[in-house]
Amino acid sequence: MINIAFPKGRLGKKVYALFEKAGFSWPGMTDDNRKLVFTHGDMRAFWVKPFDVPVYVERGTADIGVAGKDILLERSPDVYELLDLKAGACSMAVAAPQGFRDNSSDTLRVATEFPNIARKYFASQGRDIDIITLRGSLELAPILGLSDVIVDIVETGTTLRENNLCVIDRFQSLSARLIANKSSYKFKEDVISMIIRRLAVD
Amino acid sequence: MDYHFSPEEFFAFSLRDIYSRQGYSLFRMSRFEEYDFYAGAKDFLTSKHVLTFSNPDGRLMALRPDVTLSIIRNIKDIHQLHKFYYDEKVYRVPHGADAFREIPQTGIECIGPLGLDDIKEVIALALETLCVIAGGRRYVLDAAHAGLVASLVNGDKGGEILKCLCAKNVHGLRTLNADERLIRLAEIPNNLEALSEFDEDTEELMKFFSEEFGQNFRVDFSTVNNLNYYNGLVFRGFVEGLPEAVLSGGQYDGLLEARGLAGCHGVGFAVNLSLVRRLEHD
Repeated sequence: MINIAFPKGRLGKKVYALFEKAGFSWPGMTDDNRKLVFTHGDMRAFWVKPFDVPVYVERGTADIGVAGKDILLERSPDVYELLDLKAGACSMAVAAPQGFRDNSSDTLRVATEFPNIARKYFASQGRDIDIITLRGSLELAPILGLSDVIVDIVETGTTLRENNLCVIDRFQSLSARLIANKSSYKFKEDVISMIIRRLAVD
Repeated sequence: MDYHFSPEEFFAFSLRDIYSRQGYSLFRMSRFEEYDFYAGAKDFLTSKHVLTFSNPDGRLMALRPDVTLSIIRNIKDIHQLHKFYYDEKVYRVPHGADAFREIPQTGIECIGPLGLDDIKEVIALALETLCVIAGGRRYVLDAAHAGLVASLVNGDKGGEILKCLCAKNVHGLRTLNADERLIRLAEIPNNLEALSEFDEDTEELMKFFSEEFGQNFRVDFSTVNNLNYYNGLVFRGFVEGLPEAVLSGGQYDGLLEARGLAGCHGVGFAVNLSLVRRLEHD
């Protein structure tokens, strides 16, 4: 039996379509119901919160899983990152209100859902920051004066523009990655390699 | 008389027996080290956190996060071969956890003028250890050569490249323009052809173990994660059913040099016995 963790939501749907195209599917998996675990043959798939996929995989509850690179960078799980599925391509960026100038004498207030990524980025710039961790609607933070800038995922930039914000630096490209538990990989390598081979054929 | 052992104790005793029969003597930690003792080797420690307390004389002390450093401290004569095993509790914050844990750890260290036979003995003991813990399940010892990786990883992106290597992240290595030879090592599992890249001694060792232990010994370059202290072989042992490596070790001449024992050789491994409870033993 091989256990696969899929991320719930928009990215999960795109990724599941890739698995279907590669010949892996679980009946009822995309139906609109509350079922979470699906078994087909000797493969079991389940939906979990995107942010939790690395936890399931690192602890071996899932042998493999699909997680966004943003989540992998934020959580730094001790797992294998075997394949770039290229789905959900976007970037991690710093954005600020139009006309923003960094007054480097003050601590920069940074609102983000990804405190570890933001901390690492600004440390590499040698910039002293104050992290404000939020759970969404980041665009609001600089508008209301909660933060000076935001560090967030940017796809097309439309939401930013509509809120009078602009990208200052796109510093990391992101997409969905296939990850594997290190121990599972040793003992289920045949199946995992087969899945990768079939997913990698574009 | 009926004895009731916990799984950790059972394995600790079984392994002590194996190591002592190979001529290893017991090393006991009877006192605490000062915090500074560990702070000076943070790159070597798997967990950066050290649990501290104040001694009545005002000195800042630590609950041991590691035993190897204390064993090294006791080595006086580097021209003599020292073989120790230990069975202690270590205090660490495991990866991804947010609190200190007491972890029962057992292991061996072989320090001094090491020859190929000594290294072979340590690897054979690592495999025997895994076999005992596995109790009929499958197990594997992954091995790589830190020196070889160090010669291929350089430049300011070295840290990122090493991370990608550890994660078998071939697409990441390509993006970082890593050395093609390194990408080949990462790409092909159990790449025995890559053995020719090794120095003669290592090539001989790797071939010897591949022949001797077959499927239970594999060349895998994702094993290398610390180039500061490990210089030669590094290895990591996995048992089917345990989600993480239960055994890890390697040759750490760099650590010996950093601790004032230049020219001295060392090899050893540690076993994380807190994991064995998760295996259901009959």
